[in-house]
Amino acid sequence: MVGRRLVVERRGTPSLRARILFPLGSVLGAGIIGGLFLLAAGHDPLEAYRIVLQSGFGSDLTWVRTLISATPLILTGIAVAVAFRMKIWNIGGEGQLLVGAIAASGMAIALGDSVPSFLVITASLAAGCIAGAFWASLAAFPRAYLHTDEVISTLMLNFVGLYLMNYLIFGSISPWRDREALSFPRGRLIPVGAELPQIWMRLSLGLPIAIAVALLLWWILRSSRWGFEIRVIGDSPLTGRYAGMSVPRTIISVLLVSGGIAGLAGAILVTGSTHSLAPGSLAVGLGYTGIVVAAVSRFNPVAVIPVAVLVAGLSNAGSSLQVLGVPSEIVVLLQGLILLLVAAAEFLRDNRVRLVSREDELETQAP
Amino acid sequence: MDGPGDASRSNDAPAAELLGVSKAFFGVLANDRIDLDLRHGEVHALLGENGAGKSTLCSILAGLYKPDAGEILIDGIPQTFHSPRNALAAGVGMVYQHFRLVDTFTVAESLALGHPDASFRLSPRRLELEAASLCDRFGIQLDPQARIWELSVGEQQRVEILKLLHRDVRILILDEPTAVLTTQEAEALFRAVRAIRLEGKSVVFVSHKLREILAVADRVTVLRAGKRVGQTSTANADPAHLARLMVAREFAMPELQEHSTSGEVALVADGLVVAGERGNRAVRDFSLQVRSGEIVGIAGIAGNGQRELSEALAGLRRVESGRIVLNGRDVTLANPMERIRHGLGYVPEDRLEMGVAAGLPLEDNLVLKSYRTRRFSRGPILSSKAVRAWSTDLSERFDIRGVRDGMPVSLLSGGNLQRTILARELSQRPQVLIAASPTRGLDLAAVEGVRRHLLEQRAQGTAILLISEDLEELQALSDRILVLYEGSIVGEVSPGGLDDEQVGLMMAGHLRQTPD
Amino acid sequence: MNDNIIVVTIAGAVVAGTPLVLAALGEILTERSGVMNLGIEGMMLLGAVFGIAATLATGDPYIGVVSGAIAGAALAFIHAALVISLRVSQIVSGLGLVIVGTGLSSYIGKLPASPLTDRASVEGFHRLLPKSVADLPGIGPIVLGHDPIVYASWLLVAACSFYLFRTRTGLAVRAVGEDPATADAAGVRVGLVRYVHTVLGGALAGLGGAYLTIALTGIWQEGITAGYGWIAFAMVSFSAWRPWRALIAGYVFGALTNLSFTLQLAGVAVPSDLLAALPFLLTIVTLIAISARPASARGRAAPAALAVPYDRESRML
Repeated sequence: MVGRRLVVERRGTPSLRARILFPLGSVLGAGIIGGLFLLAAGHDPLEAYRIVLQSGFGSDLTWVRTLISATPLILTGIAVAVAFRMKIWNIGGEGQLLVGAIAASGMAIALGDSVPSFLVITASLAAGCIAGAFWASLAAFPRAYLHTDEVISTLMLNFVGLYLMNYLIFGSISPWRDREALSFPRGRLIPVGAELPQIWMRLSLGLPIAIAVALLLWWILRSSRWGFEIRVIGDSPLTGRYAGMSVPRTIISVLLVSGGIAGLAGAILVTGSTHSLAPGSLAVGLGYTGIVVAAVSRFNPVAVIPVAVLVAGLSNAGSSLQVLGVPSEIVVLLQGLILLLVAAAEFLRDNRVRLVSREDELETQAP
Repeated sequence: MDGPGDASRSNDAPAAELLGVSKAFFGVLANDRIDLDLRHGEVHALLGENGAGKSTLCSILAGLYKPDAGEILIDGIPQTFHSPRNALAAGVGMVYQHFRLVDTFTVAESLALGHPDASFRLSPRRLELEAASLCDRFGIQLDPQARIWELSVGEQQRVEILKLLHRDVRILILDEPTAVLTTQEAEALFRAVRAIRLEGKSVVFVSHKLREILAVADRVTVLRAGKRVGQTSTANADPAHLARLMVAREFAMPELQEHSTSGEVALVADGLVVAGERGNRAVRDFSLQVRSGEIVGIAGIAGNGQRELSEALAGLRRVESGRIVLNGRDVTLANPMERIRHGLGYVPEDRLEMGVAAGLPLEDNLVLKSYRTRRFSRGPILSSKAVRAWSTDLSERFDIRGVRDGMPVSLLSGGNLQRTILARELSQRPQVLIAASPTRGLDLAAVEGVRRHLLEQRAQGTAILLISEDLEELQALSDRILVLYEGSIVGEVSPGGLDDEQVGLMMAGHLRQTPD
Repeated sequence: MNDNIIVVTIAGAVVAGTPLVLAALGEILTERSGVMNLGIEGMMLLGAVFGIAATLATGDPYIGVVSGAIAGAALAFIHAALVISLRVSQIVSGLGLVIVGTGLSSYIGKLPASPLTDRASVEGFHRLLPKSVADLPGIGPIVLGHDPIVYASWLLVAACSFYLFRTRTGLAVRAVGEDPATADAAGVRVGLVRYVHTVLGGALAGLGGAYLTIALTGIWQEGITAGYGWIAFAMVSFSAWRPWRALIAGYVFGALTNLSFTLQLAGVAVPSDLLAALPFLLTIVTLIAISARPASARGRAAPAALAVPYDRESRML
């Protein structure tokens, strides 16, 4: 009874070259598949991609737009990446961002004009972080002590956060609402003093802050005791226990930090771009896109920065494509394809697949 | 279905024959030209220590491995088994130490899974009737509706046996079946085995426990270091002779060390009771004392509670009752971190799963427990420079080789991996060190190195508890040797006057020293 | 009597809950075989858009639901290939497929050539039994007045329950989900079982999505499932992977969905956002409550090998 079967074998550790080439190849592959969808709908893929590149990176103005969009993505990407170092999936970036935005705008409005600008901004950003961390803690504690799966719990909280924000703007007359336009629900503008200063056209201080957080976190993960514990426990919780580490406490701290960063993203959006609690501009899936960014950058905080910029450029292209008659949602489709292909490519990068005869198979088992 | 004395089979040919069977793994000869014959209606025991080759031989008979040389004959007909399913079709089945049972299934459902005759529609009533009739036939008491997770280990094992009987096996192989059973459950097992034998089926019974072999088997074959060293019928067997055969080796004279063992008592275990994975008591009323500058060896065949003991001492497993005292401090309830701080080192059996973080590089693993100290941490920051310097230093001192920058330690050879663990544990200057199977699977040079380090530690005053299956090693290193059987100490011997017969009998559960 | 609030609520709950029941049923099949498919939301969306598009194009809602099922199945096949053969993380693949499903469905909905751009609406399904029966007091609207898809969902629940617990194949499937090594040793083809049940699960999710747009809303809108695919996913956990319980859970959530309408009827004013958040809050609380049950009470009913790739997988293809 000799048959054939597929055997999967690990290759050695992938080289840096492989680690860059494979994801790039995946992006290319996603582009090809997306191109097929475009063709099927009667559009010219090359023309579409030209517009994408141009609207993302063609001129100063488009660069500014891209960088503005990249800012929250850097942060939500980092949030997912940090948690994943411990093999924890924080899918709740979306909700943590929104709650951070609520807290930041609330703090800015509450402090008003009388407090010096520097203090208001700091307080608002801090409020955003704390709110995001709190939101994550709702899933963190059950995970740490009851082993409740964090995927669903963080996800559900996204919707709760969304509806909370909607309630504040659409469902009630809350302090967040613009009192002067009651018939037209929208968020109240934060005081001018609470706005993040702009550094280049419309681009605010938010980008440098985001980059700084990314670099800081990269450094913390590799050089701090906490980062060390995360590495060890992420590799093997049993070894972590053996070494005397507290697994539950580390789980909670990681999720709090992750949530705090996502909350900061929301705070920066409010103080830097939207200047109010604006559901239409805030609830656009930044948390989910952050997952794509994190996965494509293989959960490396430094790599998140360029990947976020690329993804932001792609996202912004959506509206420009409408000129061609291409629905803007093609970019969402492309993001999903990129994620899937990068994941698939990683498997191929790390493993070799061969056909063997069944006879050889029996021998691979050791006693 | 089989009936006793089925005349359609030739009664001249034995039920099974293994002729000149050899098998090597990675260059090590696990079975060396072994001959075995199995008669119809016989219970044939395989006796030997760990590593003697019993499991390998059974796996070959059961179709899990193909022999490198030799023949297998079933009822006189030569067979080649490509898979366990082939063997099953030829009537040979094995009950493995790790049961292949689905926890949430009922007994009846477990029997039905994958059975070629099962109909598409499964009526629970019919399944139960089938299960019940099998139970009656073999005197096995099981509730067909019980779920596997509800059953005791012994009952689960009987389900496994039932599964094989349901498939009409004629040769049943049991690999160390009583390893996790209580005395009563073992009795129930033997009753079932006798009923099976009455039907004319054959049973191969692997064990290291003399008492059981003598109780249930008709003949016993002794294996040692891959070779068959003896076979006899159990009716007139001399247990001492069998124990000797099992364990016999040349014991070198131990190097007499110049040192005093009159140090303070550093580690005390008092009446420890620890539960095993399956809720059984893996460690029972265990007590010992280890002094500074002393190596106490724990001898015993794997599966007698060693793992649970070392994990409990290290703080990784709960203690049901009893006390653990470390340098005068009661640490029974202390977590691993506290024990580490109070001077406990632990070289675990499970190197890759527990002893290291396998995916991380060498330097991370070398500071696994010490990273919090001032040498490596300034506040919350870990100094990678200090860590790397330490790693270079330790690599040299402990001869850790084969390391490339950033390479995960899982890629290190066995010897280098163990040296890594030792380097880490020993460099912390532990006051008490627990070493579990520290030289298992290592090449000679590595073994030599490990032993040297342990002796050095002893000279420096560390109290060492050495748990090992290797009698030679225990004899070479220990000041005294305690024998562990079914979770408690059954005797103490001194390495100087080591009587392999006595030790063998103790390890096989046949002899228990009366306490002074 | 049939205007009575209770009757209306229950009848409404059944209809509103049907997409959830179908999607959850599909995921139960998938997870019983040991595969976790987070992509249900994406499959529902894709099924929704294909379902309504096909209905508009052909005028036949039955073709619509079948198209929806096929779309869901296709997406699920990709998931199966990625996680079973390529051993990709089941979470990454599931999330990726949600994004793909979201993007693709919106993209299709906005294509100039598609029948959906006019935001045309469809009629939905006609009730199966005659009006006189459907008007019977009490059980009329609740049980007898539904369209064939609702009845089909009941049949499917019964069939799946029978399949899983009373047939030899179902036994093999459950073995694969609990302990693939044991199933493999018993001769079951683990990879094949997982492929088949993942695709089936996707088909049911697509079917549920199609029913949502065809029968419930009548029109297409981007993101019309509004997170309900995730609720269906969570429902699988608290139905303890049992089809009949998923039916009840689906109707409970269906009632919650309709709650604002029901409360209006009862004259109670509650902020609609709070009501919208309720299903999600309830899901979290239930999830935590379930994990808090001591393991010794065997509250854990998840297939033991869920989301764990099986190493001898390559045997399949």
